[in-house]
Amino acid sequence: MSVTSTNPEYALAIDTSAGTTVAVLSLGSVLSEVNYLEPMTHSERIGSAIEKVLGDAKLSPGDITEVIVGRGPGPFTGLRVGLAAARYFAIGSGAKLFGVCSLDAIAYSYYQTNPEEVRPVLVTTDARRQEVFWALYSGTKNGVPIRVEGPSVSKPAVLEDHLAGQDVINCELPITASALGQVAYYQSLTDLGPSLDVTPLYLREPDAVPAKPKKVSG
Amino acid sequence: MSFIIRGALSADLDQIMAIETECFVNDAWSREVMQSELEASHTYYLVAEVEGNLVGYAGTSQLADSVQADIQTIAVRPNQRGAGIGRALLNELFKDAKRKGAKEIFLEVRSDNTIAQKLYKLFGFKQIGLRKQYYQPDGVDAFVMKTSIIKDVDAKPLVLGIETSCDETGIGIVRGNELLANVISSSMDLHSRFGGVVPEIAARAHLEALGPVLEEALSKANVSLEEIDAIAVTNGPGLAGALMVGVGAAKALAVSTGKPIYAVNHLVGHIAADILDQGKLVTPTIALLVSGGHTSLLLVRDILNDVQLLGETIDDAAGEAFDKVARVLGLSYPGGPEIDKAAQSGNPSAFRFPRGLTLPKDMAEHRYDFSFSGLKTAVARTVELAETNNEEISIPDVAASFREAVVDVLIKKAIAACLDHDIRRLLLGGGVIANARLREYAMSECAANGIELRIPPLSLCTDNGAMIASLGAQLLMAGNEPSSLDFSADSTLSVTQIQS
Repeated sequence: MSVTSTNPEYALAIDTSAGTTVAVLSLGSVLSEVNYLEPMTHSERIGSAIEKVLGDAKLSPGDITEVIVGRGPGPFTGLRVGLAAARYFAIGSGAKLFGVCSLDAIAYSYYQTNPEEVRPVLVTTDARRQEVFWALYSGTKNGVPIRVEGPSVSKPAVLEDHLAGQDVINCELPITASALGQVAYYQSLTDLGPSLDVTPLYLREPDAVPAKPKKVSG
Repeated sequence: MSFIIRGALSADLDQIMAIETECFVNDAWSREVMQSELEASHTYYLVAEVEGNLVGYAGTSQLADSVQADIQTIAVRPNQRGAGIGRALLNELFKDAKRKGAKEIFLEVRSDNTIAQKLYKLFGFKQIGLRKQYYQPDGVDAFVMKTSIIKDVDAKPLVLGIETSCDETGIGIVRGNELLANVISSSMDLHSRFGGVVPEIAARAHLEALGPVLEEALSKANVSLEEIDAIAVTNGPGLAGALMVGVGAAKALAVSTGKPIYAVNHLVGHIAADILDQGKLVTPTIALLVSGGHTSLLLVRDILNDVQLLGETIDDAAGEAFDKVARVLGLSYPGGPEIDKAAQSGNPSAFRFPRGLTLPKDMAEHRYDFSFSGLKTAVARTVELAETNNEEISIPDVAASFREAVVDVLIKKAIAACLDHDIRRLLLGGGVIANARLREYAMSECAANGIELRIPPLSLCTDNGAMIASLGAQLLMAGNEPSSLDFSADSTLSVTQIQS
């Protein structure tokens, strides 16, 4: 075992807000990770993906002490697969469960390679229907990206108007479970700790129109 | 095919070696090693025979007074696998180890032998270590596995079932054929203002309900997750987004607990519900499944191997027709109970509404199929015409006449299926079975035709996790291998695909 801490802590990070990404971390360092970029295969992939990262890290499920899950935003159907899997993995393994906004993980990846960035960083992901999910960041504090606005969903033109006059950096990096796990790790070092909120960030109401009595035969 | 298990003899050595070299091509034991294994005083070897020929063997090693036993080897000829021989051999080895006081059993298995690993998981084995490049000359790693509870493997398996195919989040727990818990959280109320199930609302509700429903089911059954032998989950047919919530959760639960998983068919689950009520399923039987999502007529000869779709709706499900007609009549959602209530004081022959697909020309092609779209339109026309002409129309009469048309066609076609196939048994399932007139009509028609009628209690007729657990338990008891972890949620899964 590569980690020699007297009190080993292993985290399983899961995000299905875009593709399927799963990682195992120990105290913020990544032991194993799989990334399936394609959308639509979340429910097929999720079981084997978890089994693979555990096997690659030479851990059994009982070794996992924390499960970190991406809360989105992202296309709903896929997003829920990760949230459902994280909940039941935590119950089955007895691990604690924490939630992270998926866009924070993307911002984290950006700041990893651009630590000196001083301009506001705009993270966007595809929200379909010609809209984007977005959040705005102003840097990092103790390793954690500082989100100053969002997550929200907007038409790109509306977002552009909203941010007019600001010199923002656009960031469209892919989300990785390793970054998600690292955000949670740095959060755990702060007074606040990682968030216990694991509810999905849908940001949109379901599409449905209340029924009214109408002509059926027409 | 039947097989017998007996103690191994020295005289079996030739046949054992033939199987050994067939199964373990590059790392077979030598004849000398095998012979000393068979003859040693601390080992226990069994063989399986089919028609006088050896088809498999297995053995353990356990020193006198030791509480630890080791599984030394197990092999079944490739053309004899899948018939439960490996499981039976292990079962007998377990019994012997238990007799000799074993508390733990260990084994090593090739990391690339997933078939054997699945079998071991069924017996409660979990991986506790890894031996790098243990198998030579292939250089393959060995998993070291252990089971610490010597399970009474003859006992009925404890199976947890997860159902999320429509608007009910159901988790049930069964022990063999016995129901221990059946917890359902329905999002029905959330759909009422939309007049029908909204898939996205149903899927959101499943995610919220998963945790509490699991907790309540375990508490009602008074068992812990550790004691569960296997997990079963609906992987179709149903609403795709809803199914995926259950599938994702079930896979993660299986991986985190090391339990085998069975992906099972929702419609066949409805049939397995009757096992929990009766303690058994009598086959062959015709089954009529009627709900808001399905209207299917099935011929069940064997619930695990032979379920045939005779017919189904070609447009709306019967439950959907109730919902739509309720809207036309200004009644609330779900329409079934509301129409049932309104129909009580109505005259079922006040209006002669059409019976879909019952004309001679339709019966030739769609003998066992259903259609409710024309019926719904006919009801709407009747109501609208009365409105246009400013005539009073009796809602109880319309409700009773509509209900009679639905029930008439459902039961007549089911009875025809029974008589055509000379199967004097009809099983009902699905939420629409709650309809009082449907049950009454089924009883009288079955009695008139000498057909035995089975109606499970309503809590087992509506979508539920117990029926999924029940089907999983049947698969497990029959020796079926668990599903691979890569199965998908399939919204249009065929009823012939009983396990995925």
